[in-house]
Amino acid sequence: MSHDAYDGQVAHSDDRAHDTHHVNYLAIFFVLCACTALSVIFDVVHLSKPITIVLVMSVAITKALCVMMFFMHLKFEGNWKFVLLAPTTILAIGLPLALFPDIGASYYTPTAPQVTSWAEEIRNDKDRHAEHAAGTGYSEAGQVE
Amino acid sequence: MSHTAKPTALRMGIPIPNSKLGLWLFLGTEIMFFTAFIGSYIVLRLGSKGWPTDTHDTHINVFLGGLNTFVLIVSSYLVVVSHEAMAQKNFSKARMYLLGTLILAFVFLGIKSIEYYGKISNDILPGHIAETSSQAIKKASRELEVVVRKRFAEYTSSGAIPTERPNDIVNLVIQIAALNTATRPENVSEATFKALQDSAPVDVALHSRWMDLHQHIVANVSLKKPATGPEYVAASAKLEPGEKLPELEYSEVTALLTEMKADKTYGTYVTHGVFEPHPVVYGNIFASIYFLMTGFHAIHVIVGMILFAVVLRQGSKLDGKWTDFVENSGLYWHFVDLVWIFLFPMLYII
Repeated sequence: MSHDAYDGQVAHSDDRAHDTHHVNYLAIFFVLCACTALSVIFDVVHLSKPITIVLVMSVAITKALCVMMFFMHLKFEGNWKFVLLAPTTILAIGLPLALFPDIGASYYTPTAPQVTSWAEEIRNDKDRHAEHAAGTGYSEAGQVE
Repeated sequence: MSHTAKPTALRMGIPIPNSKLGLWLFLGTEIMFFTAFIGSYIVLRLGSKGWPTDTHDTHINVFLGGLNTFVLIVSSYLVVVSHEAMAQKNFSKARMYLLGTLILAFVFLGIKSIEYYGKISNDILPGHIAETSSQAIKKASRELEVVVRKRFAEYTSSGAIPTERPNDIVNLVIQIAALNTATRPENVSEATFKALQDSAPVDVALHSRWMDLHQHIVANVSLKKPATGPEYVAASAKLEPGEKLPELEYSEVTALLTEMKADKTYGTYVTHGVFEPHPVVYGNIFASIYFLMTGFHAIHVIVGMILFAVVLRQGSKLDGKWTDFVENSGLYWHFVDLVWIFLFPMLYII
């Protein structure tokens, strides 16, 4: 399928020995299942909100690490993984931090109108009233035409 | 001095196939793509005191979310063993595992559809959710109006009431009320006309209930007091300066809707047409975020399915040349799983 040039050589994927690390994928799979069950248990058991958030996100990070390290083989890759992923990770963390002061601290109150739907409602009402007014011979100003 | 030794090949770049490097670069952009959503969600959530977390309000189904997480984990496992089988040149085994992954992707989307249906059938959609009591009252009235208009449309569309103004509800209700004494138009069958004559009093009564609510909303007066006509004028005249008639309350409207839904004649129409008018503060931004994140994730699932289908299409011709493709598709699929690993706790549990 692919003909990749790397390391100064042209390599065919058929010829290239694929990294076959001896990972017990089934064990990782069971760890991931157990972590998912833990997440649900933390939801069912009524703990305080901050504790639930910490526990559930810790489980999510554990699961993410398992997937990245073993299923995505990052544990066995060279240092290029840091070159590729470090900037992305920094920006990913930086984005919420940068947005927080302007938007996260306060952005709108619960009484803010649902502008689009209200505008549509008013427009429809006007159309219908206009039709009714035309039918009864009254203009919008209430004068007989 | 002779130079008989062969020069070593120039070693440049990253020691991985170009396709894999490209895929990882793509995944880098994908991380940023989902981080924009997840980061915005975190920020909006932190800025919204009273964010909806009750599953009664959000109609979030933790069980289905957990089940989908399990489905994706199993599919991720199958992809990784499929790649392993490809590396061992056991292509039939690899195909079998990939087929399992594809089936599980369908299962994931099926469960997601059930979840979406649950949201849509409860009107948990961006821009549709009332966030305050007054919005909830007006929303209920709008929905009731739609029910009335749908009922009235049966008279106009069948031709029982010939009119050039099918949206003029006041004109229609007068004609429907007089249907029992009206002459049947030639283009309407006798059975249809008779059925409409029978349902006319029910639909007029339904219109009357909605109109009464509508007038109380316009005047912002309690349902216990008159909101229009000479009685309203008389009640208003009795007020002292600065005094007001009691205002319309949310609990009155919910009681009215409960009563209307229990009505034996038009109750079914109201039940199917009017949602529970329960105000959910920040419900719209929640719904936007839910559908945006899970929707884009579902699109990624579909892309992954296409990649697997391309491999499976090779059938028995699948060989070692596809190993890189399977590896890269697998990396992409693990990323899809990775995104869900964070979406599940953030949207379903926290």
